[in-house]
Amino acid sequence: FRGIFASHLVSSHIMPVSRIALLLCVLVWPALVWGGNQASTGGSAGSNAQARLLVAKQIQNKYLVEGKDIVVKYSLYNVGESAALNVLLSEKGFGEQDFDVVGGQMNVRLDRLAAGANHSHVVVVRPKRFGYFNFTAAEVKYQPSEEIQTIQVGYTGTEPHQAPIIALRDYEKQFSSHMLDWLAFAAMTLPSLGIPFLLWTSSKSKYEAIARSKKD
Amino acid sequence: MKSFLTVWVLSALLVLTTAESCANPKVQATSYTPADAEVLTHIAYIAEFTLTCSNGATNVNLFADINGAVMPVIRSQDGSKYQVSWTESLKAAKKGDRPIRLYDEEGFAAVKRILERDEDPSSVKPLVQIEINYPGAYTGPWMKSEHLASLMIFLVFYLAYSSKNGLTA
Repeated sequence: FRGIFASHLVSSHIMPVSRIALLLCVLVWPALVWGGNQASTGGSAGSNAQARLLVAKQIQNKYLVEGKDIVVKYSLYNVGESAALNVLLSEKGFGEQDFDVVGGQMNVRLDRLAAGANHSHVVVVRPKRFGYFNFTAAEVKYQPSEEIQTIQVGYTGTEPHQAPIIALRDYEKQFSSHMLDWLAFAAMTLPSLGIPFLLWTSSKSKYEAIARSKKD
Repeated sequence: MKSFLTVWVLSALLVLTTAESCANPKVQATSYTPADAEVLTHIAYIAEFTLTCSNGATNVNLFADINGAVMPVIRSQDGSKYQVSWTESLKAAKKGDRPIRLYDEEGFAAVKRILERDEDPSSVKPLVQIEINYPGAYTGPWMKSEHLASLMIFLVFYLAYSSKNGLTA
């Protein structure tokens, strides 16, 4: 085998094609592997590309009223350079003794949130009692990238921190249609309008009857 | 032979740990939209469902087409229930049925390819489809009762005054 190569070197200065091909393969292969490694870990930052999740918790209500729905929206944004894996969102702030969960799950999981992507999750609860309530943050746990095994823990920004849940009676006093109250008012004004009207119609019909009998 | 066995075992493990595909999918869904929106600024659309597959697959990754955007479906932490939810402002929320097309991994890849070409993704057959019906929500009375009462009072006064004038004129 060695002999064949030796004889080639001796016979000409031009390298045969097979040798060039072999040399190229040997030189190019590590570059391809290195480049591929760079691409998979996020390029310019080297292998430090991580996911960073921002989670917002919004309460989309005009008023918080006892016995009426509260719409809670969680928005997840991945502002990092790598996909967040195994995102766990846990909401423990709406306890069973104070709230009924009417729609949506409190503890949820999203397998993968791509870099630059956003997602939303909605829960609807109904308060059982009125009074001041402390709205707490929900907890978010995720794996910042495939290589990093330590779980990142974060909390949502909450608003409002302490807000009153209005009693249903007070809310109805201000905002209900009061139709029944107005009908009661109409019934109460009926005597003061109705009695003079009845007196007038009875005397009117009496005089009309007299006038008719006079004509005849 | 030994290396072939190792490769086979490893690939089998890979299949088991990654998401599975679902045969004959059956969905049991419940949906919720608020009926009383007097105190709300946005309407919530929530659909919760469970997926049963005849091949017993439990770890199925689903993707939902929500208002034109296809995104992964959120699951409960124990993996038993899926949830698709979003909110719309009161003014923008329209009554009617909202179909939600659910795709598995293959369907999602096909839809992504079609969206990149700016074509209509409805040609891809979804794994399963669910619906959320929004019948409208109560946002308060048409006319405030005090305005109606003042209208009635004016009407009664007008009748009385015009008939009195007709008599005394």
